[in-house]
Amino acid sequence: MSKVKRIEKHDFISLPSYSDSFTFTFNGKTITANEGDTVASAMYAAGQQLVSRSFKYHRPRGLKDNFGQGPETLVTIDHAPNLRADTIMAKKGMAVISQNHVGSLENDLMAINDTVIRWLPYGFYYKMFHKPKWVWKIVEPIIRKAAGIGSIDTKGHAVDTRYEKRYRFPEVCVIGAGPAGMAAAKGALDAGKKVLLIEEQANIGGRSQHTFVNVNGCADTELNEISENEAGKLLMFEILGNPNLEVMTLTQVFAVYEDNLVAAYSGTDLFKIRAENIVIATGATDRHLVFENNDKPGIMTGRGVERLIAMHAIKPANEAVVVTTHNGGYHTAKLLHGAGTKVLAVVDGRSSVSNTKEVEEIKALGIKVIENQTIHKAKGSKCVTGVAIGSKDGKQSGESFNCDMLVMAVGYKTQLSLLAMGRHKPAWDKEREVLKITKDTPNMYAVGDINGYASFGHLYNEGFAVGQRAAKGEVAIEDSRKPEDNIMALPADIECGGDNHFICPCMDVTRNEAIGSIAEGFDQVETLKRYSSMGMGPCQGKTCHEAVARLTAKDTGLGINDAAPTTYRPPYNGVKLGLLAGRAPHLGPVKRTAMHAWHEDNGATFLNAGQWKRARDYGDNLQEALNVRNGLGIIDVSTLGKIEISGPDALKFIHFMFPGKFARLAQGKVRYSTMIKEDGIIFEDGTLAHVEDGVYYLSTTTGNQDAIEGLFRWWILTDGYEAYIRNLSGVNAAVNIAGEKSRDLMEHLVDIDMDNEAFPYMSCREAEIEGVEVMLFRIGFTGELSYEIHFPSEVGESMWSHIMAKGGKYHIKPFGLEAQRILRLEKGHLLPGVDTDALSNPFEAGVGFTIKDDKENFIGKAFLKDFKEKGIRNRLVSYKLEKGAQIPDDGVAVLKAGEIVGRVSSSRYAPVFGHGVGLAWVTKELSEAGTKIQIRCANGSDVAGEVLDHCLYDPEGIKLKS
Amino acid sequence: MLTCPNCGKRNVGEFSYKGSYNKRPDAAASFDKWVDYVYMDENPTGMNREWWYHGNGCKRWFIVDRDSMDNLSHKSQWFSEV
Repeated sequence: MSKVKRIEKHDFISLPSYSDSFTFTFNGKTITANEGDTVASAMYAAGQQLVSRSFKYHRPRGLKDNFGQGPETLVTIDHAPNLRADTIMAKKGMAVISQNHVGSLENDLMAINDTVIRWLPYGFYYKMFHKPKWVWKIVEPIIRKAAGIGSIDTKGHAVDTRYEKRYRFPEVCVIGAGPAGMAAAKGALDAGKKVLLIEEQANIGGRSQHTFVNVNGCADTELNEISENEAGKLLMFEILGNPNLEVMTLTQVFAVYEDNLVAAYSGTDLFKIRAENIVIATGATDRHLVFENNDKPGIMTGRGVERLIAMHAIKPANEAVVVTTHNGGYHTAKLLHGAGTKVLAVVDGRSSVSNTKEVEEIKALGIKVIENQTIHKAKGSKCVTGVAIGSKDGKQSGESFNCDMLVMAVGYKTQLSLLAMGRHKPAWDKEREVLKITKDTPNMYAVGDINGYASFGHLYNEGFAVGQRAAKGEVAIEDSRKPEDNIMALPADIECGGDNHFICPCMDVTRNEAIGSIAEGFDQVETLKRYSSMGMGPCQGKTCHEAVARLTAKDTGLGINDAAPTTYRPPYNGVKLGLLAGRAPHLGPVKRTAMHAWHEDNGATFLNAGQWKRARDYGDNLQEALNVRNGLGIIDVSTLGKIEISGPDALKFIHFMFPGKFARLAQGKVRYSTMIKEDGIIFEDGTLAHVEDGVYYLSTTTGNQDAIEGLFRWWILTDGYEAYIRNLSGVNAAVNIAGEKSRDLMEHLVDIDMDNEAFPYMSCREAEIEGVEVMLFRIGFTGELSYEIHFPSEVGESMWSHIMAKGGKYHIKPFGLEAQRILRLEKGHLLPGVDTDALSNPFEAGVGFTIKDDKENFIGKAFLKDFKEKGIRNRLVSYKLEKGAQIPDDGVAVLKAGEIVGRVSSSRYAPVFGHGVGLAWVTKELSEAGTKIQIRCANGSDVAGEVLDHCLYDPEGIKLKS
Repeated sequence: MLTCPNCGKRNVGEFSYKGSYNKRPDAAASFDKWVDYVYMDENPTGMNREWWYHGNGCKRWFIVDRDSMDNLSHKSQWFSEV
């Protein structure tokens, strides 16, 4: 391994100076990094050139393009796998480990795959281990283990990470902050627009950060006659001063979807950006050159090397050879020379090299220029130790050099992915010899190197003009390039194939394997990709797609246009699932009840109910349920939907929305009702209370409150009811006090008559507690005597504490949602959405009593009539199990003579009885009380249940009513 | 992006979609008509008249004529304007 070091000064350019240094570890080894280092640049500076092992053959791989395009730098950082070390900024104390090796990175035992037996050749999964069938079962785990990349952290170190979704609505969104992107931003800013400029790297400036040629021909004349590097900085400072500009660095755009939706992430934030106009300035990256051992550490791209020198003050190697086809290679050679690397030769693939200024300079430095030749092979095991060059057809060998670095500067491939993304196929631009998107997308513009290489002045002019057009939403201008800027595309892939000529570094596919696949008949790019798996690895073809198309054309004789790369699809880079999922299962705000803090302080665990957090239990749900049965319990039911319906048509509206009749529901009375959809299916239930003259108060389940409000508003709009809706769900908090002693407690809390005759079951009253007006409802989901108290949320916590204090005398205990579910099951109450689904009709669910179908018109009438005529086929029944019998999971099957005849919809252990109870859907024949049913548990064992007449707990409802 | 007649252009995630704009049959209509109304949405290619609800916004319902081919060209209006 060559000795690499930081440099203090450079012969030709000024270097960045970093004062702060810190350390992190790579495979336990301490690495010193400077402020501004990526993980990869710090490792390189520390002499750690070997970064990873390749996918199949476990070949050593190191930093290559220093731009995060290829698979070479995939590492695990702080338990997060498959991060690209050249895109992550080094941080103090990071623990970086390498991936995909058995034993150490340096001495990977699996490297035997490379040297001794290549047992995973192209198309192996189509050919090998097919027969006999059982072979695959044995070899699959071995192959999966051998061929893989990072491992998921199954210990869950990262589960506390909080992901956020964020939104932006710029007028112009510019993706890529190189010279053209900055100029486009300036053009749009000058037109007075709000601009969002997104850059994947840590700093803006793009290629100008490491390019030092003099600028000329720039429309902004102040930028002429200085180096591109300085011009880039001036341009950057100019736009950064504009308050209409927002810049996001270290932000990866991974997709551009329909309607100009730009999807990006930065750290743990996912950005959804709706831009009126998008300017894509993603530029170009160095071409991928295919030759023998082209994947060795020490082989880098021209721009990758320039970044190491100019941005990280690193002397990349002791001795280097540069292979090139254009002036860019000479620029790289000059930067190398100035950094103290001895450049042994510049090997130029052009048949005759004109004596341009760049070439003259290199010759003047005493560097040998070799014309009309190319690289043939690299030598070395874990790092390059030498190269051999020769004729471009690969047939005649030339000189050999001993060196520790080979630089490829053989032109650029355009970064079309975001521009094309599922919309357009790239076509070959013969004149400029690049892939190009020829079709326009409305409100989308492409500027910069993505249209083919050009000088800074040209890029500025193009960027600025397009930025101005984008600001106005005008049609894109036809881009143009000067002939001298065109870089020949077919430079130096030597004709002969070889076993170690890697086309696809992700999947370890070689030129020989590609040729072999073509010989087997897979002679189109699409089929070749699928068969050989080229371009299907972590980089998704970013490295190889151009080489694949170019070489396929060569090997098949297809026209270059027919050999266009396969469709670009999102995501452009890997996206963490956590980013897509976000921190909550919904996009709305997380809602907590007014008493949430009390529940937390008292050891509650929570679950999500719609947007709400509900207390699931306080540690022991069985004991909580028993407290209600034997004493007194209290539950926070603030999350319930609470909708007030009023107005002259309130009753008429209710008659239409609900299946029952409510004309005789007197003020102060409460009635249970279902809600039926137009298709006759039950979707919700709740209680409807007549609270004031002509004012009704609907209490529904937590999850459906917003849907019901929307539904009500729709019907009021379309049918013209003069009825008014107020959604009081968050406005009012509520508690349910349940248990035999609840009346005693209520008498202490309020001064109205709580006597059974004065305040009977299914009625409501207004009252006052400590000066706060409250609504009382005597209803009983749990099956006990119980009262629900509704009061303004803002006094929620003090009201709860007050009730708890007054209830101390009766040993009041809180119970959670889980205990309530047990209690309601003992009582045989169904939960819509849990015990019912999209096929549950109310007659079969046992709530047909809520339907009065002799009304003229109401929602679901036509289908309810049909259901009634067809009669009952299945029924939702309560059942009980024997003592000691296993409690089945929700959702398991009910069997009869080996046939499935139903399913369990809810199942719990009932602590008051000491055995299981539940609700199950069964066929009509099995629904008679006393019928024995067979329930198959998830573990395969059967338990016997007995169908109940109604329910187990207080079937007569005496407790509720007395 | 979808245009709410009340709030203007907003992210489509703020809205919910109910379905095509179809007239509810009379209470006395045949059962076949009801089956058509409940289950048979045409889902045409191209322009379609639909119900949308700005649930995470002003909570108002409105009508959208939307081109299902590109999702871009659409016209929003109030029910009373249809």
